Amino acid sequence: MLAAMDGLRRSLWWTLASVIAALPMDFTLAAPDVELGRYLSAECVTCHRGATAKSTIPNIYGLAEKTFVAVIKAYREKRLNNAVMQNIAGRLKDEEIEALAAYFARTRRP
Amino acid sequence: MINGNEAIMTNLTRRNFTVLAGAALAPLFAPAVLGQGKPKLVVIGGGPGGGTVARYVNKDLKGAVDVTLIEPQKKFTTCFFSNIYVGGYRSFQSITHGYDKVRREGVRLVHEAAASIDRDKREVALAGGKRIPYDRLVVAPGIDIKFDSVPGYSEAAAQVMPHAWKPGPQTELLVKKLNALKDGDTIVMIAPPNPYRCPPGPYERVSMFAHVLKKKGHKKSKIIVLDPKPTFSKQALFLEGWEKHYPGMIEWQDPKMHGGIKGVDPKTGEIRTDLANYQATLANVIPAQWAAKIARDASLADQSGFCPIDPENMKSKMDANIFVVGDACIPGDMPKSAFSANSQAKVAAMMIGGELGNARTFPARYSNTCWSLIETDDDVKVGGSYEPGEGRIKATTTFVSQKGEPAELRKQNYKESVDWYTSIIGDVFG
Repeated sequence: MLAAMDGLRRSLWWTLASVIAALPMDFTLAAPDVELGRYLSAECVTCHRGATAKSTIPNIYGLAEKTFVAVIKAYREKRLNNAVMQNIAGRLKDEEIEALAAYFARTRRP
Repeated sequence: MINGNEAIMTNLTRRNFTVLAGAALAPLFAPAVLGQGKPKLVVIGGGPGGGTVARYVNKDLKGAVDVTLIEPQKKFTTCFFSNIYVGGYRSFQSITHGYDKVRREGVRLVHEAAASIDRDKREVALAGGKRIPYDRLVVAPGIDIKFDSVPGYSEAAAQVMPHAWKPGPQTELLVKKLNALKDGDTIVMIAPPNPYRCPPGPYERVSMFAHVLKKKGHKKSKIIVLDPKPTFSKQALFLEGWEKHYPGMIEWQDPKMHGGIKGVDPKTGEIRTDLANYQATLANVIPAQWAAKIARDASLADQSGFCPIDPENMKSKMDANIFVVGDACIPGDMPKSAFSANSQAKVAAMMIGGELGNARTFPARYSNTCWSLIETDDDVKVGGSYEPGEGRIKATTTFVSQKGEPAELRKQNYKESVDWYTSIIGDVFG
């Protein structure tokens, strides 16, 4: 019985170890850098600050992080059309997109 | 006022400091300026560059820095979107903004002209004689017009032949003259040489002239553009749009066609080129430009007439205590635009936060988009992303509208530009 438990524990460790090993090199378990997001957000604010439900430029304050990340990545990969957004998203790294998403999810429109 | 800690920070590279701050060493650094009350930031110019720096430093450092904004005008009319006013799409009031919100946020407003900068004493002298000390100074006064770059033109002549390249009464005069035109009259625009404020601006303005004349039912009126440049911003898009919306109305001449602009006579309305003379009912003369006098007088400009900056932080190359943002600086690959000024201001504000408030700093990044309206719902855009590189602010990626785009996309562009205007006004004026 003890040997079986030990075996199970060992296999769990192996599973976890293999999952971690399979992760991309730059993967970290750190929370998104909200302060970085706040700095990067200055670029977004120029156009999105005054956005309303009716405006062409959408409101991004309070947007769910997953949605934010998915949309920006879609612009980065040019799956969504808008030259300005494709250009802006084009230089954002994954962790920067996550930082921005975390910042806007936590911030109310001024 | 420089203490040891500041010297250490100055010697650290930006990236190193970010790493150190990230490693929680930041508390070891005392605020950059000590012993004289709060550190003092003074900003000269309340436009999209200066207004943004003042608001961002005040907001980001939560009152830890004493921020003074020197702007002679109590109401600021934006040069950006002034063409939309010329075209009759917006009122003058809608492009004019006050500083009440900025003041309420805690920025000290001084509505007086800054007369000079004493870099040794770190003081700004106001026109009335009062002196305002600073630890860091942001110079964002915009451009001055080089009146004598067009022979016969002068500040007095601008009352007859408006340049309207600095917003306010000049823009209103231009619109008054435009609206008084009769069918068969001629508008002559003298376009400016590079570098100048708002590269597509003269051509958007020509489009707005044409829009007004077309709307008034003019069949015989002409618009002649005499350009000292062989090419101009968004040229293919404007030429296509002019042909589409205003066939036969606009004639753009490059130097090969006019042979050189020889001068103007404000008394007769005559404009002379090497090859022809034109009688203008409305002359819009946009001369060459350079950084506003206060920046040049403080020796912040080089021989180009504009102010060189460090692309990593928007600091003047002439003085480490001074930042220059907006049209007065040499922005590398960025155009002189409100969007650029606002973007540069945010980098400067972050760096000032690091120096005066011990805030965390990040690598500089810049961006720009310029929208231009050619005719109702036909709007084109150009823009890019920028970063420090090869000693200047360097374009990393750019985009521009394409010829023959669907009408719906062009309409969308205009709506976007209107939303942008709302947002950037909030960013600058609160």
